[in-house]
Amino acid sequence: MSESWIILQPIIILFTGALLTPLIEYFGRALKFEKTRDAFAIIIFGLSLYSLLGIYEEVQRQGQLTYFLSPYEPQMGGVSFSVDQFSVFMALLFCLLGLFVSIYSVRYMEDDSGLDKYYSLLMVLVAGLVGISFAGDLFNLFIFWEAMSLSSYALVAFRKYRWEPIEASFKYLVMSTIGSLTALYAMSILYGLTGTLNISQLAAIIPTLKIPSQIPYLIIVAIIAGFGVTASIVPFHFWLPDAHPAAPSGISAMLSGVVIKAGVYVIARILFTIFNPIAFDFGTTLVIFGIITLSVANFMALLQRDIKRLLAFSSIVNIGYIIFGFGIGAYALNVYGTAGYSIATLAVMGAIFHIFNHAIGKGLLFLGAGCFIHEAGTRDLVDLEGAGKKMPWTGTSFSLGLLTLAGVPPLSGFWSKLFIILAGFTIPGNTFMVVTTSLVVLNAIFAAAYYLWLMQRLMLRAPKPKVERAHEVPILMVLPVVILGLITVILGLWPFEIMGFAEVATKSLLGLIGG
Amino acid sequence: MSTPDFTLYALTAISLYIIGLYGIAVRRNMVRIVIGLEIITASVNLNFLAFTKLDQSLLPLAQYFVVVSTVIGAAIAGLSLMIVIQAYRHYGSIDAKKLSKLRW
Repeated sequence: MSESWIILQPIIILFTGALLTPLIEYFGRALKFEKTRDAFAIIIFGLSLYSLLGIYEEVQRQGQLTYFLSPYEPQMGGVSFSVDQFSVFMALLFCLLGLFVSIYSVRYMEDDSGLDKYYSLLMVLVAGLVGISFAGDLFNLFIFWEAMSLSSYALVAFRKYRWEPIEASFKYLVMSTIGSLTALYAMSILYGLTGTLNISQLAAIIPTLKIPSQIPYLIIVAIIAGFGVTASIVPFHFWLPDAHPAAPSGISAMLSGVVIKAGVYVIARILFTIFNPIAFDFGTTLVIFGIITLSVANFMALLQRDIKRLLAFSSIVNIGYIIFGFGIGAYALNVYGTAGYSIATLAVMGAIFHIFNHAIGKGLLFLGAGCFIHEAGTRDLVDLEGAGKKMPWTGTSFSLGLLTLAGVPPLSGFWSKLFIILAGFTIPGNTFMVVTTSLVVLNAIFAAAYYLWLMQRLMLRAPKPKVERAHEVPILMVLPVVILGLITVILGLWPFEIMGFAEVATKSLLGLIGG
Repeated sequence: MSTPDFTLYALTAISLYIIGLYGIAVRRNMVRIVIGLEIITASVNLNFLAFTKLDQSLLPLAQYFVVVSTVIGAAIAGLSLMIVIQAYRHYGSIDAKKLSKLRW
């Protein structure tokens, strides 16, 4: 057990980096080389990604790693970390997107001041995200959750000389804090009932409790509502369409690509691990939330003229698919018991794979939109028409991102949607599953229509006056966009490696149930 | 084992939670919205302590949770008041109704 302290490596690297960035900034000024901090940030993200690969190999070998940080005995439930395949899957995704965003920010943010604070906050954000995926007890998870949330509020308000980021950030702060405190309230009830907040101990204690059956459902609802604010499930999504456009484009990519995924991750982790889906019926709730999220956000996305606002609504749509996938999995387990295990594996695997695809695809789209905005100086879709013709590399990668989210077959987004929908249609006799999955298919077709419409406007129409003088952005900005575009193509043609990883992650999430 | 104490603490916690939510929903003053958030933090902390009235063995860890959660509450208050100050610089007011350019 002593060598499992390597779990802490990426978190320590990122927090140390965040503390050292102001110092590096000072040295950079003394050396008359301002970009020192940017290079330092890229090195820190690279190092943490490298240490995560070490953890990945260790987890492949041992299955699960646990580490107790506190002087208390584990039975007392002190600070603990627990890493399985699903955690590593998410943490790798978080660090990968952090690396791309830091490369992108070198040129994109160069006109802003206070960049040492920007990189510090970005590192705390990613450290919080990695901590969330590695946390082994709920209170530890809450601490990392707040580290992540607080730095994302500050990053949304980073350009504080404009009114829009301030408003959006205040709205985001108020809504998200109410959500996380509601979830903490649920945790306090769990602690009072069981005497521990350790996730694996809770999973063992919950079935043996002699309490009225309403209380677990109260906790489940509070968890879904609390973390659902950050995951932007529909009745709680109002902060997202304001915060995404107001933030700098790199931060929009982080928010949409990984921060809202952290909300989904926590909901899935707590519900599937602590509350056994065979005993507790939360699948129906998740499926209904997923359908509402999809339909409302799809409708709202059509009404937008602001390119980043449209992409923000499309993020909510994709959260709908992911929640729906997890919901179908839990529903199948609840209705058919262990016989539903294969359907649940298919659906949850689709959802986890879609988390990956959407993080890559939407990261690409927001970074690409940032390139267009950087050149044209406007976020209005009407003014941006034809921008893709002037910027071929960005335009082509942007189109790839739109196609993968539309679910066009050779690209990676097709596979994950296929799995989710297949899982829903596996049992023809079940009306609930067939009807809801049909609604998802209708929504997917509807969404594909406006992705293609957006692509046609940006790529095929004659350039408008504002983009007439646009030309390709600097290499450091276009590089992350092109690499992300290549990832979607490569993973679309050879999805087997990543699908295998998603399947192992699913098995580790559903671990106790499969038996 | 003192159940009446527990009921009192738990009811106070839930009513503080509702008061905080009400304050955030109804008040237009941004500082009062921040106060509403802090009231909710207090209610959660109180709820952690309420259960220790039922079972003394819960106390050490509950105290640790409450101390850390208070620190996090202070961080939230600090950041949100920073945003309130910036909003005041833009609008010359801390009325949340003035922040109506984005649909609240």
